Amino acid sequence: MSDTLVQISNAVIEGRVKDAPGLTHNALQAGLTAKDILDKGLMPGMDVVGAEFKKGKKFVPEVLLSARTMQASLDILKPLLAEAGAKMTGKVVVGTVKGDLHDIGKNLVGMMLEGSGFEVVDLGKDVAPEKFVDAVKKEKPNIVAMSALLTTTMRSMGHTVTALKEAGLRDAVKIMIGGAPVTADFAAQIGADAYAPNAPAAAELAKKFVSA
Amino acid sequence: MRVNYQTNVTPRMQVVSTDQIEQIVYAAMDVLQNTGTLVYQQEALELLRDAGCVIKDENLVFIPAALVENSLRSAPSRIVIAGRNREKRVALEKNRIFYGTGSDCPFIIDPHTGQRRRYTFEDVYRAAKIADALPNIDFHMSLGLTSDVPIGTYDRHQLYAMMRGTSKPFVITANDREGLSDQYEMACTAIGGVDEWKRLPMFVVYIEPSSPLSNSVEAVEKLLFSAERDIPAIYTPCPISGATAPATMAGVMVQCLAEFFTGLVISQLKKKGAAVIMGGVTSLLDMATTVLSYGAPELSLISAAMTNVAQYLKLPMFSTAGCSDAKMLDQQAAIEAAISIAIAGLSGANLIHDVGYLESGLHGSYDMLVMSNEIIGMVKRILRGVTVDADHLAVEAIERVGPGGHFLTDDHTLQHFRSEFWMPELLDRSNWDVWEANGSKTLRERVHERVLDLIENYQPEPIPAEIDSRLKLIIARADELHEGEEQIALV
Repeated sequence: MSDTLVQISNAVIEGRVKDAPGLTHNALQAGLTAKDILDKGLMPGMDVVGAEFKKGKKFVPEVLLSARTMQASLDILKPLLAEAGAKMTGKVVVGTVKGDLHDIGKNLVGMMLEGSGFEVVDLGKDVAPEKFVDAVKKEKPNIVAMSALLTTTMRSMGHTVTALKEAGLRDAVKIMIGGAPVTADFAAQIGADAYAPNAPAAAELAKKFVSA
Repeated sequence: MRVNYQTNVTPRMQVVSTDQIEQIVYAAMDVLQNTGTLVYQQEALELLRDAGCVIKDENLVFIPAALVENSLRSAPSRIVIAGRNREKRVALEKNRIFYGTGSDCPFIIDPHTGQRRRYTFEDVYRAAKIADALPNIDFHMSLGLTSDVPIGTYDRHQLYAMMRGTSKPFVITANDREGLSDQYEMACTAIGGVDEWKRLPMFVVYIEPSSPLSNSVEAVEKLLFSAERDIPAIYTPCPISGATAPATMAGVMVQCLAEFFTGLVISQLKKKGAAVIMGGVTSLLDMATTVLSYGAPELSLISAAMTNVAQYLKLPMFSTAGCSDAKMLDQQAAIEAAISIAIAGLSGANLIHDVGYLESGLHGSYDMLVMSNEIIGMVKRILRGVTVDADHLAVEAIERVGPGGHFLTDDHTLQHFRSEFWMPELLDRSNWDVWEANGSKTLRERVHERVLDLIENYQPEPIPAEIDSRLKLIIARADELHEGEEQIALV
C-alpha cells in the first residue's frame, strides 16, 4: 500500500480532521482514484477505530472525531465518486419519529453510519410517517433508521412502517429501529427488519444489510 | 477580580472536631498515667523506667503525659517506602491515600476448583501477582498465610512469594524479632544494601499489641528492632468493641490510642525519630455470632475518626477497608467493600489495608481484591472532586453548541471526557441485549474471569537470578535453624 494511503488511514485513526483535505489532495495528485482512497485509505482507518472501540481503547467522542476526519476527506471525494459512478457503502435515511424531540441517540447513529462510509440523510426529530415516505421516494436509500426514546412515541415507528407499506415502498428498503424502550421483539411486532441496541451495533447492522 | 473566594478541591469529611480530638487524646493520656499498661519485654521496661515511668508488679507501666508529648514531637510526620522496583513509591503524608491488601488469611477458595482450603506458597504468589496487576492497589500485604512451609520460618517464605509476585512496597508480618531480621536482610539484598534501605525502605512492619493494654515480648521486640534498623513500624491495636474494649465508639478510640501511644513511646525511647505509623483495626464483637466484624459500619466510622486524630497528631495513619463478613463474593461483600472503601478514602487515611478480606478476615479472596480495585477507582473519581475554572465551567462550549445542539463532537468534550469521566472495566453499563449477547454475566462472573486471566497471563517483573539465589540462601539458613519444628496443620 502506498505511503499516501497509510497517511490517510493514520489521520483517520488519530482523528486529525485538519490534515484530511491536504492528504486527500496529495493522494489524488499522486494518481490514486477516489475509490482507492475510500476503500484503501479511509475505510481501513475506520476499521481500526472500530476495533479499538470494541476493545475499550477508544471512546465515542474519539470515534466521532475519526468519522469527522473521514467526512472531511469525503467532501472532496464525493463528487469524484459520483462522476466515476462509484458507490459509497450505502445510503441511510435517519430520523427521530413523530412526537419525539430526543435526537442525541439518532445523531450518534447517524455519525457512526457516516464513519462506516454510509451517506446519511438526516430528517431530524419529530419526523412524521409521510416525511419518511417522501424521503424514501426522493433519496432512494438502502435503509431507513428510526429512533424513539419514549414508550408513547414508539408506536409512531409502527405507523411509519405501515405508511411505507401503503406507499408500496416497504420492500425497497431495510428498516431498522432503536432507542431505550425499543426491543427486538417490538421490531418484529411492527414489521421492521431489525433492532440495534446501540449506535456501533446499528452501523454494523447497516453494513450487513448492504452486503447481503 | 474575585475576593474572599474559597475553593474546595476535593470533597471533605470530618468525623470529630479538634476539640473532640483533644478530649480523646487527653483521655488516652489519663488511661496511661492512671490505669497503666502491661509491658512484658525487659529492655522496654528499662527504657520506660529510665524515662521516668512508674512500674508496679514488674510489668504494669504508668506513662506520664509529658513522655507521650515528647514522643509525638520526635516521631516523623512523613514516611516514604518503595517496592523492589524503586519507582513504585508510597509517600505517607497528610491527605494522601493508598490502598492495599490485608495479610495472613488462613483460607482461600481455590480459584479453579471452588474448594475452600488452606493458603499455600503458590496462592500467596498468585495474590501478589494479582495485586501487582491492579492499578488501584499501591502496597501489598500477603493476603494469605503460607501454610505448606515450616511454621517457624513461614514469614521468610511468605515474603519471598510476595517479592516474586510484585515489585510494589509491602506491609509485612513477622513471627518474631529473628523473622523480622531475616526479612530485613532479604529486602536489603533485593534493593542493594542497608544504605539504600535507609534512604527508601522496602516495607513497613505490622506489629500488634494485645488489647486491652498489653504488650507482648514478641510485639515489643519487633518494635525495638525496627527502631534500631530504621524499619517503619505500624503499631496497630485490634480492640474489639464490647469484648476487649468498651462498647462505645469513643471508648474504643481512647483505649486504641493509649495502646498505640505505648508503642510510640517505646520506639522513640529506643531511637528518637524512629518512624511509627498509627494504627488500629477498630471493630466490634458481633453480639449475635461472637465474630469480630470486618463489615460493620462502626469499623469504618471509628477508623475515620481515628484518622482525624492521627492527622491532628501529625502521624501517618493505617486504616481498614475493602473487607467483609460475607463468605463469598456476593451482594453483602460488595456493599461492605464499597462503603468501607469510600469512607476510608474520604477520611484521608494513608495506608488503607485489608482490601480482599472475606469471612471476617479468614478468607483472602482474589475475587474480592479484583472487585475492590474497581470500587477504589470509582471512589477515587469522587474524591478528585469538581474542578471549577473558566475552562471547566464550559460557558464557551455551551455557547458554541447552543440550544438544541449536541456536545458529542465538540472539541471541549474531546479534551475533557477522558479525565472527567471514570471508565469502569468490570461494572457493566451496556443495555439488556448487549449484556445478554455477552453471556448474561453477573459482576461476580466477570470478576472471576479477570482473576483467572491474571493468574494465567500476568507476568510480574522478575527478580534478577543472582538476587534470587541470595534470597533463597537466607531462607534456607532460617529453615535449617528451625528444622524438625511442626508445620501448620494442612487440613
